[in-house]
Amino acid sequence: MLGNKQTISSKQLLSLMILFEFGTAIVVHIGLESNHATWLSILIALPGALLLYGLYRYLYRQYPDLIVSGYIRKIVGPYLSWPLNLSILAYFIYNASRNLREAGDLLIASVYDETPLFIINTTMALVMIYVLSKGVEVLFRLAQVYILVILFLGITGLLAVSFSGEMEFSNLFPINGGDWRNVIQTAYPSILLFPFSELFAFSTIFPLLNNSKEAGRTGTAAILFSGLVLSLTQGVQLLVLGNSIYVRSTFSLLTTISVINVADFLQRLDAIVMLLLIICVFFKMSLYCYAVMAIWGDLFRIPNTNKLAAPVGIVILFMSIFSAWSFPEHTDEGQRSSMVMLFLVTVAIPLFLLLVHFARKTFRRLREVS
Amino acid sequence: MNKTISADRISTNLEMNLHEIKASLGSSSDLVFKRFTLEGIQAAAVYVDGLIDRHIVHDLLFDSFFSLTFDVPSKSPLEQIKHKGLSSINVQSMSTINDIVLAILSGNTILLLQQCEEALSYETCGGEVRPVTEPSSQIVIRGPKDGFNESISTNVALVRRRIKNSNLWLETMQVGSVTHTEVAIMYLNGTAKQEIIDEVRRRLQNIDYESILESGYIENLIEEQTYTPFPTLFNTERPDTVAAHILEGRIAVFVDGTPFALVAPTTFFMFFQSAEDYYHRTDVSSGIRLLRYISLFISMFGPSIYIASITFHQEMIPTPLLLSLASQRESVPFPALVEALIMEVSFEILREAGIRMPRAIGQAVSIVGALVLGQAAVQAGIVSSAMVIVVALTGISSFTTPSFNAALSIRLLRFAVMFCSAFLGFFGIAMFSILMIAHMCGLRSFGEPYLSPLTPLRPNELKDTFVRRTFKRSSSNRRPN
Repeated sequence: MLGNKQTISSKQLLSLMILFEFGTAIVVHIGLESNHATWLSILIALPGALLLYGLYRYLYRQYPDLIVSGYIRKIVGPYLSWPLNLSILAYFIYNASRNLREAGDLLIASVYDETPLFIINTTMALVMIYVLSKGVEVLFRLAQVYILVILFLGITGLLAVSFSGEMEFSNLFPINGGDWRNVIQTAYPSILLFPFSELFAFSTIFPLLNNSKEAGRTGTAAILFSGLVLSLTQGVQLLVLGNSIYVRSTFSLLTTISVINVADFLQRLDAIVMLLLIICVFFKMSLYCYAVMAIWGDLFRIPNTNKLAAPVGIVILFMSIFSAWSFPEHTDEGQRSSMVMLFLVTVAIPLFLLLVHFARKTFRRLREVS
Repeated sequence: MNKTISADRISTNLEMNLHEIKASLGSSSDLVFKRFTLEGIQAAAVYVDGLIDRHIVHDLLFDSFFSLTFDVPSKSPLEQIKHKGLSSINVQSMSTINDIVLAILSGNTILLLQQCEEALSYETCGGEVRPVTEPSSQIVIRGPKDGFNESISTNVALVRRRIKNSNLWLETMQVGSVTHTEVAIMYLNGTAKQEIIDEVRRRLQNIDYESILESGYIENLIEEQTYTPFPTLFNTERPDTVAAHILEGRIAVFVDGTPFALVAPTTFFMFFQSAEDYYHRTDVSSGIRLLRYISLFISMFGPSIYIASITFHQEMIPTPLLLSLASQRESVPFPALVEALIMEVSFEILREAGIRMPRAIGQAVSIVGALVLGQAAVQAGIVSSAMVIVVALTGISSFTTPSFNAALSIRLLRFAVMFCSAFLGFFGIAMFSILMIAHMCGLRSFGEPYLSPLTPLRPNELKDTFVRRTFKRSSSNRRPN
């Protein structure tokens, strides 16, 4: 057949990375609950995020044909690689399901108070299964279309907020929210881990790129852009809502948007936030799901990973329902245990791999010298 | 007569040959045998009345043959006729009954001679065809008004007249094991990609189907994915559109017997561009093109956005409007989805009736339709007047799509979106659009991604997709796409 090669261009990678970074982070108050200077913390976390991404890129460049599970096997050997890979797999499944759950719960909390969570999650999971069963290339092309939709919605929303006259610049001060330690602690580790360290999932994508040399620059651009936009969004939320409401609301961007009233004409822009949430979460979840499929296929030697979309999607669907009884429990999990796991999988494991890799390299050189 | 005999070579006996030809066509009464003698040799001309051009045949029989003299004794009479006959007509020698019968059916005139094991086939096809008239489906205000007709040679000529270039190549073949329909592919050699030309040719040759009556058959038989609501081959009855696409490096497929030519490869955005966009000023055309995309959005999502906001998202409607909508819907006994379905289905019925009914009663139906479905339905309390507005706007919007078959797909999908929005509101609409766009991202037309140049992104070509770029900035005069 003509032109059926599965490749991903750097523009497509950029689009999906930005959507992935936005995820749920664009609509809720991220970081530590007590901190209101989240916008500042995001900016402070950016250097760390770039460094971390450099680490993922470095590991990949040592084995340019392999996805993460493949090079783990090469670096630490077959026996140790199994528990590492399985824990990564498990964590990706868990995180995808967390995303699904969060989107479902936020939708129910905001609009669909009479619709069961299961229905909403099932709809999303089914669409995701369809997209992924068409191949990851389709997901990336889709991202390229939807990044335009997101930009359009974002710019519309931002303009509406700025013309509404609801922004109170005094809300910004004191700039550190009264406590620098709080700001720094939000940045490291909280915001560095969520959402930036989650880019680790893209380790399963790098070998598919048609120009993998550009991935470093693309990733940097995606991190900087998404970091700045996230910071801007959080800043605007703070400006509009004020310290007290901002840190307490569960769906802060929706609360922000709902106060807009431009000339009695643009008043109900809730749909923008809803679409933002649905689209961004969909892509983040789908990428996690693909990462699971890729690692699964690699570990168990399944050549056609597209067939794994349905089983993985169904597991994620049920996990999203059963992982927590309520939304507060879900957010609590996110603040505590999820952070620890995120740290272990996306920071500790790559660092460990780097150490082992250096050690092996040094030993090899020593042996060659002697 | 069965096939094994008709595939035989022709014999030296003229009467037997004529008998076999007659038998293999079932003694059809429109078959004409003209017997005469040429310089003492018995001869016969065979053709089907109605498939031939009577003037040419007349010239051939009376002016050309009767003035013949066999003055070179060394050559056979047939050879001499072949080189002396009417020079402007294409002549071919044939030696089997099967070839002869096919030639007769294509409108050729066959000359058979006594004592000759070959026959001559003169291309005399003609007969009645519809004149070149204004296209009925893709109408422009400014621009050429000629449209294709049912004759493949006219259609090819209409395009050739626009591109006077030696690189404009044409290949013909016959498709359909029963109908032997003539199919031609036309492309600009050097501009069209060779692998796409090969692929088009290969797929056309691989068609194993009895009858080809319209280019729609070909479209179905050569497209990559059959199960999709979206058309993956573009069709047009405008020669200027075909010429423009050929200049862009696409390949046109003409099918005898239909004014609709196909263009491959196709992208989704081709369906929303009219030839006229290039004949007006850039700013005007760009505005109109944007308007068309807005109409596309309305005709796809109009009713579903109304249903979603009435059913799920009342808080998104400004309060005064919500109050007025609520008071309108007070008397309506149905949920918004049912109300929308009633109106949409009646509108579709009206539209379909408008196409199929005899022209003479057209006015009556449109008056009845407008009155009954508009005012009376509202007064009877079956639907709300807001719904009438929404449905009317949706219906009108779908007519802005220059290509009819793309509008049909949107029409069909609109109903699916309405159900999604009735069950899940905006979330349902968003999910359905992701599903739909993902499906479109996976579609290909002869290797070309369906949504290009949007994805994979080609910024240069995107300039001429949603708006129309100016001619001045381009070095060549080709339309990019």
